[in-house]
Amino acid sequence: MDGGRRGKPVGGVLRRLLNQIGGALVFPLLAIGISFLIGAVIIIATGNNPVAAYVALITGAFGSPSAIGRTLVNATPLVFTGLGVAVAFRAGLFNIGGEGQVFIGAITAAGLGVALGPLGLLATLVCLLGCILTGFLWGAIPGFLKAFFGAHEVVTTIMLNFIAINLATYLALNTLRGEGLVPGTDTVAAAVRLPLIGLGLGRANYGILLGILAAVVAYVLLWRTGRGFQIRAVGLSPGAANYAGMGIKANTVLALAIGGAFCALGGFVQVIGVEGKMSIPFVANLGFNGIGVALLGRTHPVGVVFGALLFGGLQAGAQQMQFATDVPLSLSDVLLAVILLFVTATKIVEFVVGKRARTLAAGTRLDEGLGR
Amino acid sequence: MSETRPGGGAAGASSPVVLEMRDVTKTFGPVTANDHVSLVLHRGEILGLLGENGAGKSTLMKILYGLYRPDWGTILVDGEEVEIRDPKDAVARGIGMVHQHFTLIPPLTVAENIVLGAEPRRGVSLDLNEAIRATERLSERYGLRVDPRARVADLSVGVQQRVEILKTLYREARILVLDEPTAVLTPQETEDLFEILKELVADGLSIILITHKLGELLGVSDRITIIRDGHVVETVNAAETDERALARLMVGRDVLLRVEKVQAKVGQPRLGCEDLVVRSGTGAEAVRGVSLEVRAGEVLGVAGVDGNGQVELAEALAGTRPVGSGSVYLDGEDVTALGADARQERGLAYVPEDRQSKGLVQDFALYENNALKTYDEPPFSRLGWLFPRVMRRRASENLDAYDVRPRDPDARAGSLSGGNQQKAILARELSGDPGVIVAAQPTRGVDVGAIEFIHRQLLEQRERGKAILLISLELEEIRSLSDRIVVMYDGCMVGEMSADEATDETLGLLMAGRGVEV
Repeated sequence: MDGGRRGKPVGGVLRRLLNQIGGALVFPLLAIGISFLIGAVIIIATGNNPVAAYVALITGAFGSPSAIGRTLVNATPLVFTGLGVAVAFRAGLFNIGGEGQVFIGAITAAGLGVALGPLGLLATLVCLLGCILTGFLWGAIPGFLKAFFGAHEVVTTIMLNFIAINLATYLALNTLRGEGLVPGTDTVAAAVRLPLIGLGLGRANYGILLGILAAVVAYVLLWRTGRGFQIRAVGLSPGAANYAGMGIKANTVLALAIGGAFCALGGFVQVIGVEGKMSIPFVANLGFNGIGVALLGRTHPVGVVFGALLFGGLQAGAQQMQFATDVPLSLSDVLLAVILLFVTATKIVEFVVGKRARTLAAGTRLDEGLGR
Repeated sequence: MSETRPGGGAAGASSPVVLEMRDVTKTFGPVTANDHVSLVLHRGEILGLLGENGAGKSTLMKILYGLYRPDWGTILVDGEEVEIRDPKDAVARGIGMVHQHFTLIPPLTVAENIVLGAEPRRGVSLDLNEAIRATERLSERYGLRVDPRARVADLSVGVQQRVEILKTLYREARILVLDEPTAVLTPQETEDLFEILKELVADGLSIILITHKLGELLGVSDRITIIRDGHVVETVNAAETDERALARLMVGRDVLLRVEKVQAKVGQPRLGCEDLVVRSGTGAEAVRGVSLEVRAGEVLGVAGVDGNGQVELAEALAGTRPVGSGSVYLDGEDVTALGADARQERGLAYVPEDRQSKGLVQDFALYENNALKTYDEPPFSRLGWLFPRVMRRRASENLDAYDVRPRDPDARAGSLSGGNQQKAILARELSGDPGVIVAAQPTRGVDVGAIEFIHRQLLEQRERGKAILLISLELEEIRSLSDRIVVMYDGCMVGEMSADEATDETLGLLMAGRGVEV
């Protein structure tokens, strides 16, 4: 038999603190560490120096104001799509429709932004509300189908992606087509745009503040309102929620609708913040990366913000890395993929690092249900 | 640390030791489920393994059956040290287990279920005839009457259990472990089972019986090992002990097995139903025209074997399951159309039979669970905005009043033991001072100390003039708490009597469907 250690629990208060803060961070940090190690192996295999490559990666992400600016630009829409996935996930639902919801938000923002140009900041506000509305309605569709017909939201949200992307693209290239070399809608007037932060941060705009505000809203919604209480209860235990008289159907529709609204705002910041128009081809993978961001952030609004910054940083840094060394851009995708793999497949981390890591992280949600 | 005393029963110290577990230790994170546990099983003996829920007896047996690997300790079968890595190893060593929740495949026949995984072959194909012959041979040899060609889905629970036992015998088990086997049986079926067990040990098998039912153990086992909090407390001879002593060993203090009950002061009917028909999840009629009423100050006990419509009846009365036809009354008002929260506002408290997936949100903190039905009312919320601090404070008071451990409102509900979870649910339901209480299996899977507490709480509510409907699979509980008793069989009420008139025999017959319809 394996030699036994009589396991003694670490002292009470310290342990609880470790659990709450440390526990939540242990896995993401370990995952990042392991993925960087694996990345180093790949870098060596391409004949490059991993240290130089990682230095370039980190400088390209956070090493200068312009680098930080690029990171923020990348991260901002991901905060929204991450929240869109996270909120739905709290209700036990998988929102894979972020991609389409972003496009819906983008075309709404572009359309309203151009039409209401003269209204300046008021137009910005109307665009914001308009995107929330259209995203909400678009997200309500799979919610409704699930609640009343049992149609699995993974299937319906993916199908609706195709519809939304094609619909928005069609509108951008036909009905709302603008002049100019780059195909897409007209450019929204400067007065409607989200102001740049300046400070040498390049194209970074106040959309990131909106993102943080959205994260606060998501947190307050989930933990400080009666509706959020219901959403979480339904997600964690539909049986108990039903017993308590909470409407499962209503909360299903609402959770996916709210998720859609958040994701649509990702399209909003991309159009009104970064690009000024909806150009075709439009930025891709915001919705799908939102899933990764949500998982990395353990579906908590605070985690989503940090996850988005990590994603944004790796994407920004990869360009510098390719410039300074010869390591291809796609390494950042590989790193992200490995990070996600380890964050979600916690048993792999345990295998690599040993049971102590799992004991440390015991009590955090992802650890539940792994078999005691 | 543990001490085992050599057994003195019919198959006592004189028989060779077939199984020994030494210093078995198993931890799950900070929780030590088994702490240097040792036990000894002699050939031809029935060893009772007694302990509260969470004491560690299931963990120990899962280690024996290869479902868990111990952190420390050794297992010896017939004196030889063995390593059991998975159930296949256990079976190869002659260890068979009959789980509390059967692992049969309902659409297949008895013979098919028995040989599943070790099928007799003729060339490449399954030799069904041999399977049937093998079943008949075993059935005759051990006196376990079954029809090899019968479909498992058509069999009663008692017969299904015999099939489970035959499965282990087919694999030549010499050591049989039964986990809470009587939880699903009527009193008569329990007697039959114990007869079978005695015949099996006469044939040379050795049996470990896991249970929390003290009385039964005394009737059938030779020795009893008591486990508490992961340690072996003592091993005693069944002939030399009694229920009170066992309860004291199990819990660590004196336990009232039958709570004192004052004379009932019965008032007006407060809860009632008329010709109630309720459909189960599968669409079949689970409750077929039941009428009953519960009056203030009385406990109406609903007895019956699991699966005869009690769950659906409770849910329909509480409002969490829609009614097919008929009506439900609360204080004279027809509430059939009202949902659970509306009925709760009118003073109906409901303790559901499934605390894991219905009574509590396991991943919510205790303070959130405490407000599960009232979160949208002041003082917990105003205009949709929640006040967690108020929720925590109120939860703290409740947890104190109902002896929930740990008294931490931030503790995750799922981390509590079964008994404490049930007390937390009780705290929530009773703190609103309801007029009517529907309690379905309130002490299922709950340790003896908590059972005593819960029973006292229910009787206190009874003395305060509340109307209580108690649904339970435990006849002991029904008889000790109820003023009147009804029996449910196949969705109908088949008997009604005062508690004084009821005997285990009459109730047992009614529960098995061999009584007169009311």
